[in-house]
Amino acid sequence: MKRMLKNIGFVLLLIPALAILFFGPRQQAGVPKGRVVVTYWEKWTGPEEQQMKIIVDDFNATVGRKKHIFVQFVSMADIDKKTLIATAAGVPPDIAGLWDNDIAQFASLGALTPLGELARQHGITSKTYKKVYWRACHYHGRLYALVSTPADIALFYNKLIFKSDAAKLRAAGLNPNKAPQTIHELDAYARVLTKFGPNGQLLRAGFLPTEPGWYFPEVFFWFGGHIWNAKTRKFTLTSPEDIAAYRWIASYSKWLGPNAINSFTSAQGNFESAQNPFMLGTLAMEQQGPWMANYIYSYDKRFSTLHCSYAKALVMPLAQRRKNYGWAVAPFPSAVPGLKDVSYCGFDAFVIPRGAKHVKQAFTFIAYVESQPVMERLCSMMSKNSPLRKVSKRFIERNPNPYIDVFEKLASSPNARGLPQIPIMPQVIDELNTEAQAVALLERTPARALQKAQNRLQREYDSYEHVQKLRRAEK
Amino acid sequence: MPEKLPVNMVSKDLLEGNFPATAGESVDRATPSGSAGGPTPPIGRRLMTHALLIGASLIALVPFLWLLDTSFKTESTATQYPPSLIPDPFRWQNYVNLFSERQYHMLLWARNSLTIAVLVVLGTTISSAFVAYGFAKIRFRGRGILFALMLSTMMIPFPVTMVSMFIIFKWLGDHTGVAWLGTFRPLWVPYWFGSAFSIFLLRQFFITIPDELSEAARIDGCSELGIFFRIILPLARPALSVVALFAFLAVWNDFLGPLVYLQHSHQFTLALGLEAFQSQLGGSQWNLLMAASVLVVLPVVILFFIAQRTFIEGIATTGIKG
Amino acid sequence: MIRWRNEIKQTAKGLAFLSPWLIGFAVFMALPIGLSLYLSFCDYPLLQPPVFVGLRNYHAMLHDSVFWESLRNTGYYALLTLPAGMIIAIAAALLLNSRVRGISIYRAIIFLPSLVPLVASSMVWLWLFNSRLGLINTLLRYMGVAHPPGWLTTTRWAMPSLAIMSFWGLGNTVVIYLAGLQDVPKELYEAAEIDGASPARQLWHVTLPGISPVIFFNLIMAIIGVVQNFTVPYVMTQGGPDRATYLFTMYLYDNAFSFLHMGYASAMAWVELLIVLILTAIAFWSSRHWVHYQGK
Repeated sequence: MKRMLKNIGFVLLLIPALAILFFGPRQQAGVPKGRVVVTYWEKWTGPEEQQMKIIVDDFNATVGRKKHIFVQFVSMADIDKKTLIATAAGVPPDIAGLWDNDIAQFASLGALTPLGELARQHGITSKTYKKVYWRACHYHGRLYALVSTPADIALFYNKLIFKSDAAKLRAAGLNPNKAPQTIHELDAYARVLTKFGPNGQLLRAGFLPTEPGWYFPEVFFWFGGHIWNAKTRKFTLTSPEDIAAYRWIASYSKWLGPNAINSFTSAQGNFESAQNPFMLGTLAMEQQGPWMANYIYSYDKRFSTLHCSYAKALVMPLAQRRKNYGWAVAPFPSAVPGLKDVSYCGFDAFVIPRGAKHVKQAFTFIAYVESQPVMERLCSMMSKNSPLRKVSKRFIERNPNPYIDVFEKLASSPNARGLPQIPIMPQVIDELNTEAQAVALLERTPARALQKAQNRLQREYDSYEHVQKLRRAEK
Repeated sequence: MPEKLPVNMVSKDLLEGNFPATAGESVDRATPSGSAGGPTPPIGRRLMTHALLIGASLIALVPFLWLLDTSFKTESTATQYPPSLIPDPFRWQNYVNLFSERQYHMLLWARNSLTIAVLVVLGTTISSAFVAYGFAKIRFRGRGILFALMLSTMMIPFPVTMVSMFIIFKWLGDHTGVAWLGTFRPLWVPYWFGSAFSIFLLRQFFITIPDELSEAARIDGCSELGIFFRIILPLARPALSVVALFAFLAVWNDFLGPLVYLQHSHQFTLALGLEAFQSQLGGSQWNLLMAASVLVVLPVVILFFIAQRTFIEGIATTGIKG
Repeated sequence: MIRWRNEIKQTAKGLAFLSPWLIGFAVFMALPIGLSLYLSFCDYPLLQPPVFVGLRNYHAMLHDSVFWESLRNTGYYALLTLPAGMIIAIAAALLLNSRVRGISIYRAIIFLPSLVPLVASSMVWLWLFNSRLGLINTLLRYMGVAHPPGWLTTTRWAMPSLAIMSFWGLGNTVVIYLAGLQDVPKELYEAAEIDGASPARQLWHVTLPGISPVIFFNLIMAIIGVVQNFTVPYVMTQGGPDRATYLFTMYLYDNAFSFLHMGYASAMAWVELLIVLILTAIAFWSSRHWVHYQGK
């Protein structure tokens, strides 16, 4: 009896195993013959993945068919690490969708193919893009990347909560019909809008610096601070402005208690779902980028169609269209009086890793995306603003994001900030994230945390420079 | 390269080459050669033992049950508070959605895992048997030193060699015609040169096979290879299945190896694929993730219940010993 | 003369059978370790040729606070898991050695968790430890604990959480202890009982010395396991929060594959090797004093 059971079990395992082994899926499915296959690794999942796929499919059906190119889109987790390793291993993808903060490191390691010549051939110049993006695509004066979609950071706020708590806001001397204009005001709004439950747990947070917690290394920008001085090549993390930024992070932990914040964060659902705290209303204001409109529409339509359908609202004038939305966008306030329209303007980048097999064909696809009609279509689908200098009126009026003009203004503002070109950027981001976390957990004082980061990163960079000198000497 | 050799899974009997012939009651590993205590202990003591056993089993089982439970919930019921015990609605569709949402990836990953597993198990078993025979049955100078050397390599953690191995594989790819990085090769080829643990295990087993058998064959004019293939190997079936089983488990479990050597997502193994399930944006689709985990764990559990008995029968029926 | 020829023949045969391992050892063991030593004196970002920098990497290591932190974390993890793990495993083995009906089922159940792929069990325990929604805190709240710990989100409890999780997977160690227990000759227990020894004294004077070789074996394996620990913290906490669970091998991996500091990573690999060698040497040396091999 037992033996029979054992045999049955073995067969139960063996048959599907053999089936999968011999009839299982193989990789190269759906590639038309006779075309050069360009592998394109991208970080996006969810709606953004689908939207980029539309552009890729369009290319494959039109330009791709004419020029015998087939772009194979692959979604990759940990894309920066994976691309770096694949490039080091000699098996890179032809196009990788990295982030702006990867460019300096990759370029300094020699992991990227310079794009200057190819850009010139396709008519792409410095006049094509808004300054803040074009600058960040370069390293030591050479072009290494182009923009796939921009990522400018602003303040998203829940108009419905502002309205329902209007009396409380007014009692505190705050205007419920406007967004906070300074960091000080932001904190004041946050205090009024935060609700606690019977056991003292956080029911609704007015604002939390740790949500989403993606922009710790850039938090200094809104305080007038800098990460490093490019001329002296020294980090400037212990400046009073930088310390003020971290103090601001700590202030929320001091007020609410780090455990309450942790508990609140742990219970939050997936960002890419209807359980997103901003959509659920458990977070009244959030530091986010333009894609938020896309996600809200994908997962919580009601939030974006209060009175009439989306299609009807799309043809209305902008001011009227905004009334259909339960949320709104304003520039993220700054802590420096007089410093307005500050934003961290990051972006998703196209790079061609060194050793890619089909450089020309890869660039053909990139140039296709960079053209105004395609770029505006892509950015419109993702509810983002355009990185190009020329922007059509229709793009602004018909963008699913009714506040796209806010983002356009931020990207063109003189206070638009990009990341400095530091070759040890991953360590910088790692260190700043760690220290910000420590500060948010009240484990270290802001001054101490930044001093620690400063010491470590400066030593790391000086060591890097020293080795570079040795390297140049050996040549 | 397994992050941790499953050396712990060896019964001490095997380590010393003792294979008691008594099958006894069906137990998982060691047959009882005597447990402490004489007559049946008093009822109070027995009840307490039972209680402790049940308690320990619960601790071992509850995570499995929770895993299973969550895998049948919807995304909102999975993240609701307080958590409910019974999934309502009962979403068995999660298991179907798993395959449709990420398309063929789970099957693809399974296929990759299986491919590598088969190659590793074959390689390990064959090559280790070969080498173990050399250590066990052929007397020559320096054998002891080499054996000690081999044992000591068991103590070298994988991270010590993984960076250099990566560089060596890259160099090989660049300078010979054969690509290593970006293929499965780094994950299975080394096993065709023997694995220290398997060699050790088999050597201990071969030693228990009396030399008279080999002598008799030798007198009959059989070559060393002949003795190996015709006499020793057939007798070694139970030990070989142990080696195969442990090799399979090590590969199925391996995470760091694939993480380092596999770059393209279509090559990922189940372990890597499962990790990539975690959303990078914060929060995860817990219900789907748990369903995927169940599928990854299931073959191992089934294999255990099957092989547990094979393994014991193998030990128990080693004809020569006893 | 003939004897000498025979010896050569034997050696040739032996080496022939050993050849797969010999080649493997040279290519996959000796060569990498040697290369590792050379690279530890270089700066090698892989995309550019290596540059000899002498002792720079080791010097940097001494001043690298993250290096020391990862070393401390690994030591802390060892402290949390080695003694407690041993006690728990031996206790479980003693329990599973009882003559009770259905004992084989209990043994199977307790062994099962150690078979689960680490990635899968990491997912399960991530879920169990979730401070708001996880089962552990739900149970704690049910039992009246008002503010249960934040487990993996706090620097204080993150490492203990990983330790607790490791105890769940001790099944394979338990089985080895079980086999060892069953190997202790009955006569010793009978003699002790005749001498009037209580169960506790029997445990201390008969059982533990009897399984001391097994304890020693498991100790060595545990040391190697602790030093190599990577998958669980990598998947569950990525080394956080605030590097509380950032273990040595994770930092090695990051240096090699996130920053492409192959030279520095090689230096770290050598340090890891030395640590393992020293610890096992200590264990071997101390074994003379407490490990009793039965004349087998």
